[in-house]
Amino acid sequence: MAMLVEQIMNGLQYSALLFLLAAGLTLILGIMNVVNLAHGSFYMIGAFCAAAAVSSTGSFLVAVLAAVVGAGLYGLIVERLIISRLYHRDHLDQVLATLGVLMFTNALVTVVFGRNPPFVAIPSFLSGSIQIMPGLNYPIMRLAFIAAGVLVAVGLWFLIIKTRVGMLVRAGADDSEMVDALGINIRRLFMLVFTIGAFLCGFAGVMAAPLLAVEIGMGEKMLITTLVVIVVGGVGSVRGALLGSLLVGMTDAFGRAYIPIWMSQLLPPQYSDSVSSSIVSASIYILMAIVLLVRPRGLIPAQR
Amino acid sequence: MTDTLSGSTQTPKLEILNLKKSFGALAATNDVSLTVRAGEIHGLIGPNGAGKTTLISQISGELIPDSGQIFLDGVDITRLPAYERAAVGLARSFQISQLYNDLTVEDNVAMAVQAQTNKRFNFWREARKDPSLREPARRALDQVGLLDRAGLRVSELAHGEKRQLELAIALSLKASVLLLDEPMAGLGAEESRLMKNFLQDLKGKYAILLVEHDMDIVFALADRVTVLVYGTPIFTGTPAEVRENEAVRDAYLGRED
Amino acid sequence: MNRKNFVVGLIFVILLLVPTLADAVSNSFLINTATRFVIYALAAVSLDLVLGYGAMISFGHAAFFGIGGYVVAIMAHHMDMGETIFGWAGTNSAVIVWILAMVFAAFIGLIMGFLSLRTTGLQFIMITLAFAQMLYFVLVGLVMYGGDDGLSITSRNVLPFVDISNNRTFYYVCLAILIFWVWLCRRIVKSPFGMVLRGFKENERRNINLGYAPLRYKLSAFVFSAAGTGLAGALWANYALYASPDMAAWLKSGEFMAMIILGGMGTIFGPVLGTAVYLGLEQLLTGWTENWMLFLGPVLILVVLFSKRGLFGWLAGGKSHD
Repeated sequence: MAMLVEQIMNGLQYSALLFLLAAGLTLILGIMNVVNLAHGSFYMIGAFCAAAAVSSTGSFLVAVLAAVVGAGLYGLIVERLIISRLYHRDHLDQVLATLGVLMFTNALVTVVFGRNPPFVAIPSFLSGSIQIMPGLNYPIMRLAFIAAGVLVAVGLWFLIIKTRVGMLVRAGADDSEMVDALGINIRRLFMLVFTIGAFLCGFAGVMAAPLLAVEIGMGEKMLITTLVVIVVGGVGSVRGALLGSLLVGMTDAFGRAYIPIWMSQLLPPQYSDSVSSSIVSASIYILMAIVLLVRPRGLIPAQR
Repeated sequence: MTDTLSGSTQTPKLEILNLKKSFGALAATNDVSLTVRAGEIHGLIGPNGAGKTTLISQISGELIPDSGQIFLDGVDITRLPAYERAAVGLARSFQISQLYNDLTVEDNVAMAVQAQTNKRFNFWREARKDPSLREPARRALDQVGLLDRAGLRVSELAHGEKRQLELAIALSLKASVLLLDEPMAGLGAEESRLMKNFLQDLKGKYAILLVEHDMDIVFALADRVTVLVYGTPIFTGTPAEVRENEAVRDAYLGRED
Repeated sequence: MNRKNFVVGLIFVILLLVPTLADAVSNSFLINTATRFVIYALAAVSLDLVLGYGAMISFGHAAFFGIGGYVVAIMAHHMDMGETIFGWAGTNSAVIVWILAMVFAAFIGLIMGFLSLRTTGLQFIMITLAFAQMLYFVLVGLVMYGGDDGLSITSRNVLPFVDISNNRTFYYVCLAILIFWVWLCRRIVKSPFGMVLRGFKENERRNINLGYAPLRYKLSAFVFSAAGTGLAGALWANYALYASPDMAAWLKSGEFMAMIILGGMGTIFGPVLGTAVYLGLEQLLTGWTENWMLFLGPVLILVVLFSKRGLFGWLAGGKSHD
């Protein structure tokens, strides 16, 4: 029982990470109709800025600031220089151009920060574990991650339901006539949405830094998984991103925990390890393929 | 809705029966029934937002109706995939020209000609040099008066020429039923006059459902007219009957009490 | 002779002369570089059929590259070990193995294409990417074939009459295959089938209106291009005497796409030039800095934003596009 709860918690934590990344990406795709392969790069920048900040100041809170500002600023620059020219282009152009940004950012980060940044330790106020139920101690850092995810979800909900910006988001602000009629500058709206997305990535980066490996290429792995999340959940809707994050996060966590056990019972040992690791890695893609074949637009896509 | 023309015993070329389509709470097509006979031009008019294009899209297969039926020569084609409708003799032209912008004018028509042949899956010949594809294309262009523009890319054409090309493509499909969605859209006075003459020549050769905004044109060309308001057909009759009908006048002019 | 034909002719003359050039400057590495280039160009040209003419953004093509490579490597591995594959002693004959690689890749392409073409847009991109990733993880999981480390083989396949263990000869064989494949692809894009494919890219709505059913045309192109990419993978395994899961990684698909766009999408010849530009830049810049992506990234961005016709379009002029 304790193991089950632990897996659920692990799944929730991974879901929180995915949600931070997916919420921004789904809005960027849904509202601006831009496929942004550089989204993972903002996450990486956040993590690296955090690592640098921690090693020079020792303060985790400074690291959070550095990560969010660093990623947000970079995101803003990318938006102004490149993304803003892609709004009316087809997906292929967007894929290729943002691929270029991805490649460039990997190289840039290597040049600026070096291949292997210093290890980011779990800050003391988040270290250790607490007992969440009899027989299960769970790391506070991970609980904090889950809390952060919930906080962001609530904050986004507030933004989308209660503000004018949110209203435009819900209305599907690609109808520029309607938007102009409301007196909103659509370019500024896009810039805002993109930058918020980058901020969220930066935040995800600093939260993930103590838990995962901070390395060049961490962005790509998360990018693909994030795209899987939004495709499963449905493009353009934050609720879809939430559902997708939970599904993917849980599938991954439970897969990691239980598939090796099942495989070792089904197959001889020399095969079970490698087969199970393949299935575990492929599990989220299998989930996505199934969802897409049944519901090509995802589970709860934004209504158009 | 009253159809005041006495029916003939022949099966109509195109028959639509109780067609309904809604988008959420909006009923875009609200119980529409109409027929188009061979050789007849049946006009479809209505104020903006009446759902005329939505109706055309259901007949051409791009939209699937929620309920109701569509018959071509008595055969139910309601759920036939859009890409199979050309083969059963249905040709549709678009209100906003749908052309292959980077290909030449002649290429565009040749694509329609090719669709009728069994050459579509041929990997080997050079399509642009195949006379069995190019000759009919050139003939169709000649028919609409675009032959001298044959080698230009579509992006180089004037708006009026694009509408002519749009029509040439529809005619190349060897169809028996034509769905023409505002062929005059955006044309100037002289171009409209030419287009009207051209459509006049088509009378008797096809069963045509003609959507148009310009009522004078519709009344001059059509044998019968159906008036659509907010997706609902409010009257069907000859042009003279439509002009006299009170419900139609109310719909267009609004009641003055 | 128009400008476009001149440029194309020039490219192939240069390619034919590479070994001679290599001797002249006493640099046998030139032949290796040129061989790599020809093999990648084969993959890029195959993908262009689908990407540039059919407007299908497939991130899955690296999977076919990987399949081709592993068919060769696994076959060779079993023969090296003296083992049988399901009772068959296997073969070293290039003709059989390479065709097997193409058939296998085409078969996977059929499945992948059939399932993926039920979707469009971003979903299509993602599902093709998912398939490639699944294959990547399968390859990594094949521990008996090297897993993550990849699989080495001791010798190349064998062709009748020519000895492709000789690098020069192998280069000429690859070049001949590339020339043949480019010719074949050009014939296809100019054919009625090719026009229909382009019709889907230019205006899908109109294509359907005329009566062209999307799936059969797109899937045919997809399967054909999968075969070509598989062949490239098989040649690669022969060239490098090695196959690794990276061949199937989604970023490899991205590399092919970059090659296509740099040279000019939708021209068949463009990707050949684009591959040269990509590999050339890589060669040049890695001499200066390990982080050559620092320059490639912006180049790619600039080409996409400002010059869709790529290098081939620029060189061959306005009529370079079909």
